[in-house]
Amino acid sequence: MTPAKIPHTGRRAQVLIYLGKFFRMFIFQNDWKVLPMAAVIAATVCFVVGPNLFVTMEGTVMGSFALSCVCIWNGLFNSIQVVCRERAIIKREHRSGLHMSSYVLAHMIYQAFLCLMQTSVTLAVCRFTNVRFPAEGFITPWILLDLGITLFLATYSADMLALMISSFVRSSTTAMTIVPFVLIFQLIFSGSFFTLSGPAERIKDFTISGWGQKCMCVQGEYNSLPMVTVWNTLVKMQNMTVEVEGQGEVKPLFDFVIYAYDNGLIDVIEAETGRQSPNPDYEKTKENVYSCWLHLAGFIVVFSGMAVLFLEFIDRDKR
Amino acid sequence: MNKITIILRLVSELLLSLGMMGIFRKCHCKGYWAFIPFARKFHLGLVSEKEAEGRVLTVIEVCRICLDISLFAVPKESRLYMPVLVAYIVVLMVDLIYLVRVYFGLCEVFQREKRWVTCFILLEPVTALVWGFSQRFQPVRVLTPEGGHAPAPVSRRTAETLERGLTVNLIHRRAIRYFRIRTILADIHFSIPPGRMVLLLGGSGAGKTIFMNAVTGYEKANAKITLNKSDIYRNYKSLKYDIGFVPQQDLMRDNDTTYLTLLDAASLRLPSTVTQEEKRKRVDEVLRILGLSAAKNTIVKKLSGGQKRRLSIAMEFISDPTLFVLDEPDSGLDGTVARSLFERLRAIADNDKIVMCITHTPDRVADLFDDVIVLCKDSARVGRVAYFGTLDGAREFFDARTMEGIVRRINPKEVGGEGRADEFISKYAEKGGLTA
Repeated sequence: MTPAKIPHTGRRAQVLIYLGKFFRMFIFQNDWKVLPMAAVIAATVCFVVGPNLFVTMEGTVMGSFALSCVCIWNGLFNSIQVVCRERAIIKREHRSGLHMSSYVLAHMIYQAFLCLMQTSVTLAVCRFTNVRFPAEGFITPWILLDLGITLFLATYSADMLALMISSFVRSSTTAMTIVPFVLIFQLIFSGSFFTLSGPAERIKDFTISGWGQKCMCVQGEYNSLPMVTVWNTLVKMQNMTVEVEGQGEVKPLFDFVIYAYDNGLIDVIEAETGRQSPNPDYEKTKENVYSCWLHLAGFIVVFSGMAVLFLEFIDRDKR
Repeated sequence: MNKITIILRLVSELLLSLGMMGIFRKCHCKGYWAFIPFARKFHLGLVSEKEAEGRVLTVIEVCRICLDISLFAVPKESRLYMPVLVAYIVVLMVDLIYLVRVYFGLCEVFQREKRWVTCFILLEPVTALVWGFSQRFQPVRVLTPEGGHAPAPVSRRTAETLERGLTVNLIHRRAIRYFRIRTILADIHFSIPPGRMVLLLGGSGAGKTIFMNAVTGYEKANAKITLNKSDIYRNYKSLKYDIGFVPQQDLMRDNDTTYLTLLDAASLRLPSTVTQEEKRKRVDEVLRILGLSAAKNTIVKKLSGGQKRRLSIAMEFISDPTLFVLDEPDSGLDGTVARSLFERLRAIADNDKIVMCITHTPDRVADLFDDVIVLCKDSARVGRVAYFGTLDGAREFFDARTMEGIVRRINPKEVGGEGRADEFISKYAEKGGLTA
């Protein structure tokens, strides 16, 4: 005998139930604490790299990498324990009719809210600490919105990566053990501090830090910024002597440095050095920005899809 | 790798396999497993009474062989060589640690000193040969092989499918894990009409939870289980809402209130045709039935142990299931609270429902139950029914005055029981099983 089919709560309604739960947790549990934490992290980073961010080429590379790391840090710690800490509860609820896609979608919406708030906090902190943003937007008329989208996508994709890890592992301890490895991977393979070549260069394409940093460099008009390294090196080397036939020991750089100082040529030299050393990766084109955004969005889709897939097997957990 | 190295490795592998074959045979394990690379490690774990470590070793062995091949295939100049080499070294380290653990176990099984572990690690093939073929090395404990003991006889009858109520005809429940097919449950037949409260009795490891999972359709067995004539396995998607399963632990979110936890449970479990107002009414009713009205707005983490248990039950009871299954609902509760909880379950059963409970302290609430299912492992380690029927009948059948006395009769001797499970399974089977 087949029982009459009675409709039960569908996927959409389940998303709403879980969203309600998560937002209650935001207020009554400690989830709200991620916002002041984001402010503290952003302030620390801005204090160190803020003065040169979007001002010089070197400062922009360093600063945008640091901001990418802020996003990854925020995103990872938003979600790394959210699923694994309640794995047994989810298993019970799955038995009672919970759809994993609804559960993950509810998390995605809730985490999107958290990431949006964190991005706003980070941008506000940057503004307050006098980070000099480019004058105008590139994709939208407002640069803060352009950068906001990048920061949000980087934070959100890191968040989804953490959600995927949290769905896969069975305990909070394991999840927290994996985090340092993820951070090291993002640091090494971002391509900012270590020159990558060969197969390692391809790995860069799979890092959130790499795409986040690239996007910020493009939006920060990296190729039109002055390069200070060459001038700073020249100043350091100004007392270098060389032996010239008939003139004895001379200081060729010293005269040049003094001349540049006296005639106010430093800015010109730095600007020209920057013009001579463009990075084609950071060329200011809309395609570059869209490509970065698309890659980050791709990570979000893949990671969240994997999270659903892992959770579908939750019934196979043994006692 | 030159030819000599390859030959040496092959000879070493052959000697090791031969030695392991000897060890396996001494431990009553099939000798041929020693010649199958991955299976050898697992069975070494088995005979060393370190099954979990054996499983890890099997996985490590697979990784090691893959990395071995990769190291052979990837040129040394390649950028890939270094990561593969690092991975190989890591795997070797893990392999070594687990191998040490397994050999410690083997030393215990053979009652030999731990220093032999060093010999195994340094000269594995030679040591294995010595242990495998010297008569001086004999295990004090041997593996109980699958099917090594004749299983207790099976009952010939099947339970008649009830028009209303639960009918279980379970032929067997098997699991395949690491080269072994294990029969976990077999030959369980009974039927329970509505309005009965049934006690599921059995020692630890008798397979009670697996049995409950099989009956509720959560884990499928080779069985036909019907609830009001509907096949639970075939119609699991729709019937799961008519079956409430309360797990052993209180699995709910700590930072929600009792009321909201129940309201969410109602939204998840009740049909979508039920209005929000009706859901609220049902939540209030369940809170009243389970004595939680006073704690309606209390945060879950601030509830007492008994209240948490009742809330856990309420979460399943909210959908008013026909079959209500509870896994140790009284664990961690004192006698008075446990009694009060079971009285509430009795009231639920009296409302034309079937309530099945596992409990390890049955005597304090025995009078509240109508029937008892006694589950135990036979000598082939298969979970079997030793009795199904009324509690008075059970006392007479086992010649025991208490339910705990019954458990003592069927529990193995090594856990303080009398080890008479086979005797009672056979006695019950000869009677052809019972129906309530």
